[in-house]
Amino acid sequence: MSSGRASSSSRTAARKEKADPMPASGHYLVAVSRSLDPHALTGVQGIRDSAVRVVECEGLQAVVCDVDLDEFGEEPLRRNLENLSWVEEMARAHHAAVCAVDAVATTVPMRFATIYESEDRVAEQLRVLRDPLTEALDRVDGAAEWSVKAYAAPVAAEAEDRPRAETGAAYLARRREAVEARRRRESDDEQVLSDLHHELATRAVASRRLMPQDPRLSGRQEPMRMNAAYLVTHDAAQSFSDYATKALADRTELRVEVDGPWPPYSFASLEPS
Amino acid sequence: MTLESTTRASAQISLVDLLDRLLGTGVVLVGDVVISLAGIDLVRVQLEALITSVRSELDQGEDAGTDEA
Repeated sequence: MSSGRASSSSRTAARKEKADPMPASGHYLVAVSRSLDPHALTGVQGIRDSAVRVVECEGLQAVVCDVDLDEFGEEPLRRNLENLSWVEEMARAHHAAVCAVDAVATTVPMRFATIYESEDRVAEQLRVLRDPLTEALDRVDGAAEWSVKAYAAPVAAEAEDRPRAETGAAYLARRREAVEARRRRESDDEQVLSDLHHELATRAVASRRLMPQDPRLSGRQEPMRMNAAYLVTHDAAQSFSDYATKALADRTELRVEVDGPWPPYSFASLEPS
Repeated sequence: MTLESTTRASAQISLVDLLDRLLGTGVVLVGDVVISLAGIDLVRVQLEALITSVRSELDQGEDAGTDEA
């Protein structure tokens, strides 16, 4: 019974706080950080009413909170992910916790719903992934994410001045012309936005173009032409934002929206992008 | 203080912007509980389900004329 005490002692110590042998709660990983003063997170809530806490290993800090596996276990989670109001509540809680960590230390945010069975498993991830996590932290240090989206302005209603008596051929020609005009406009837009993206990228540490958002989720009628993210140093943030806001101000056919700063979600990848 | 301002900011962010980042990006570590969620495919499947439900929620929201966010 007493054999292997050395290897199990740290585990036993970690267990002491939580007496449950069969975990009814999981450890929801919010973010990985470093040089974080755990006291700075006093009062910060994670998911539901569970306060966040810090698990340290090899100089890295995982910010975690307890979650009930009746809610976040594989089966219930699958079900809950189909419930939009549940997703929204949890996404906002996750984001608020990430923001709280990001406000006080260099932070790599985790993807939604990364859950471990024990603190040992969390620490093990920090140990195994120490190098790529450190690289990610180095990359986002001193910078924040900015979102720049461009929408096509609402198209003027298709020419209502249609001739009363129009031949089939004339109709087809007019349709063809309209399709061609739209294709030209989209191609022009793409060129303008590609130039803008390039300009913004030179003002950023890193950049990414994301998938345009689904209009069914965004509720926007206008087609999204660009959904881009930029990692911008805090020093350059104001001029970046000013530039992005004004760059296409004279182009009525495109509307640009600048949003930030965000925690560096889009630049926290563990593989160099 | 800081907490209030981040919470307030969070409430103003649109859900689609949040999901863009919480599901589409961020570090993907393989968790113990939901290994399959780390796979893009499942996220996409779930988003389809989400889109279906967002549409019905939007319809309801417009009917009720409420704005709770």
